[in-house]
Amino acid sequence: GTENPASEVETGQSPPEKPKLVKCRSPGKETFTCWWEPGADGGLPTNYTLTYHKEGETLIHECPDYKTGGPNSCYFSKKHTSIWKMYVITVNAINQMGISSSDPLYVDVTYIVEPEPPANLTLELKHPEDRKPYLWIKWSPPTMTDVKSGWFIIQYEIRLKPEKATDWETHFTPKQTQLKIFNLYPGQKYLVQIRCKPDHGYWSEWSPESSIQIPNDFPVKDTSMWIFVAILSAVICLIMVWAVALKGYSMVTCILPPVPGPKIKGFDVHLLEKGKSEELLRALESQDFPPTSDCEDLLMEFIEVDDCEDQQLMPRPSKEHTEQGVKPMHLDLDSDSGRGSCDSPSLLSEKCDEPQAHPSKFHTPEGPEKLENPETNLTCLQAPQSTSGEGKIPYFLANGPKSSTWPFPQPPSLYSPRYSYHNIADVCELALGMAGTTATSLDQTDQHALKASKTIETGREGKATKQRESEGCSSKPDQDTVWPRPQDKTPLISAKPLEYVEIHKVSQDGVLALFPKQNEKFGAPEASKEYSKVSRVTDSNILVLVPDPQAQNLTLLEEPAKKAPPALP
Amino acid sequence: MKGSLESGSRLLLLLVVSNLLLCQGVVSTPVCPNGPGNCQVSLRDLFDRAVMVSHYIHDLSSEMFNEFDKRYAQGKGFITMALNSCHTSSLPTPEDKEQAQQTHHEVLMSLILGLLRSWNDPLYHLVTEVRGMKGAPDAILSRAIEIEEENKRLLEGMEMIFGQVIPGAKETEPYPVWSGLPSLQTKDEDARYSAFYNLLHCLRRDSSKIDTYLKLLNCRIIYNNNC
Repeated sequence: GTENPASEVETGQSPPEKPKLVKCRSPGKETFTCWWEPGADGGLPTNYTLTYHKEGETLIHECPDYKTGGPNSCYFSKKHTSIWKMYVITVNAINQMGISSSDPLYVDVTYIVEPEPPANLTLELKHPEDRKPYLWIKWSPPTMTDVKSGWFIIQYEIRLKPEKATDWETHFTPKQTQLKIFNLYPGQKYLVQIRCKPDHGYWSEWSPESSIQIPNDFPVKDTSMWIFVAILSAVICLIMVWAVALKGYSMVTCILPPVPGPKIKGFDVHLLEKGKSEELLRALESQDFPPTSDCEDLLMEFIEVDDCEDQQLMPRPSKEHTEQGVKPMHLDLDSDSGRGSCDSPSLLSEKCDEPQAHPSKFHTPEGPEKLENPETNLTCLQAPQSTSGEGKIPYFLANGPKSSTWPFPQPPSLYSPRYSYHNIADVCELALGMAGTTATSLDQTDQHALKASKTIETGREGKATKQRESEGCSSKPDQDTVWPRPQDKTPLISAKPLEYVEIHKVSQDGVLALFPKQNEKFGAPEASKEYSKVSRVTDSNILVLVPDPQAQNLTLLEEPAKKAPPALP
Repeated sequence: MKGSLESGSRLLLLLVVSNLLLCQGVVSTPVCPNGPGNCQVSLRDLFDRAVMVSHYIHDLSSEMFNEFDKRYAQGKGFITMALNSCHTSSLPTPEDKEQAQQTHHEVLMSLILGLLRSWNDPLYHLVTEVRGMKGAPDAILSRAIEIEEENKRLLEGMEMIFGQVIPGAKETEPYPVWSGLPSLQTKDEDARYSAFYNLLHCLRRDSSKIDTYLKLLNCRIIYNNNC
């Protein structure tokens, strides 16, 4: 404002101080009121005027109503109120000395909505017959709000507390105008207040307190609640009983786990109870007993080759042949004590019936003995490209109606432990695994898998076997058209005297290195020569083995060299 | 054991089925009352949803404006420049209750649609430019992004409502085009902030208009002026 020092000094009067607009409020988005604070009046009677102009207009208006809003206020009626338009409002203080204008206030009615508190707050205690008693609070919307048409959207908040308490219990209701309160303490005087808020705007003030006295004999609970509680607990009990009935045992074990008893593999308690000790022991036996750890001893086992007319060596009669290809190999421990089959593995075969054989690789062995066993169904398989490229060593798997009693010691150190003890069928399986269509499933050692032009007929007992092998040695060779027909049953006849062959060692790749047994006939054989290379297979299914100089060094041996002697019954 | 399990399962199934049957008394508006070929959400549901979304958008706009005002506009007097700055001021929108109540719902709805459409573009650019603002507070950016998305949603809903309330009406009203992008991208920081302020101020206002008109229409059409 302007000051005139001269006049101030003279009369102690001055123009008024700048007034200040405090706030503007609209109770229902239809009208609004502005209030100001006057400054010092400068010692003279001061008049205040309010002027404004609207957004988009240049015309300046004066306040239409100074009275309705109280002192130092300006009330804008419906006629003068526009929503979504900015009002630029100024208050001017005028006295004889001068005029002071306030800073302009920019007002948009949309954002200054603050309703009055709700009206007509009533409290009533209700006591219905079969239900819980409650306090019924009712009210109506504040004045100047048009809720029905949807112009004004409103929400309410009620709070109540016993007179002496400090904390209020608040309830929020979006638009309804009544509320029921349960759980009141009898004998207390309750205070109730309510306020409201528009959808976008300020909360109203709290209404004046309403109070109500709860009579002492006000029933807090009623029987219906207890009935409900009883039914609920009955239902819960039923459910629990049902759950226990269904899962009683598992629940009990969950809560009280049973103490684990000793478990001996293969130990059948029931057999013990029945007193059948023999069966009990037998059951124990079947669990991989004896262990294979002492396989190394078996390395030195000799193979006895007998006169094949000895039917004892044929564990099974010819009935085995009825099933094509399925030939259970019964390896009786007793009959397998190192007795070879008719075809000594150290004898060379005369002819290989395998078309894939490489005749160039074969050469006449030096004096090894030959065994003829034309009836043996020998399948000559050839190793595919071996990684070492040292030449192919045919892989021979002798098969036939006669089960081989070639013990295949498989010390874990030399062989992968996948082969089970005593189970010559594993050899067969391995071959099959290599030879069969499942060549892809072979592992490293079996890389030198063979392509069989003729599949091998084999069979085995229903013993547990490794998966890979069982693929090859499936017990359904009849599906495979390549399976050769079983040859005629061949009596085990050998024309030549049979010799013992010593298994020198078994290489890491499963190569059998054979030594001819030192005996008088040979005179002075090459002591350290091991026969691990098959030269050829004769047409009478005899393996012709030659010494393999490369087989001297076990570690260097990379040949597929999974050899099996011709099957000898 | 197995038998009791089966009977238990049957009992449970019976309980569930009886529960469903009892609950059928609850009224729920069908989503596709005219069959799958002509799926129409009920008008009441459409309005409920639209009102919720418009309310939300206005809340977000107000918060966003207040944030910006607090951070960038203190003592700058941007408000003086914001007068008459809204690109939608050409739309003949009612400006008090009486005017709004005398406006036919068709007109009101096309006004709403015009406002929604005219804000598609500015909202898109607002998000982009706020991102590039120096020290853009997440409170502003996240709300801008949210508003842009909700605006699209509301527009879809409004078009459906329009189609149901005024079937067969062709709706080719032009809407005001915003051309304030250059001022949002100007190098002068004060001028740029002033442009932002205007945009947010107009957004707050227009979202309030849309919200108010929708709530009015809702009570008028669905509740027959008896909210």
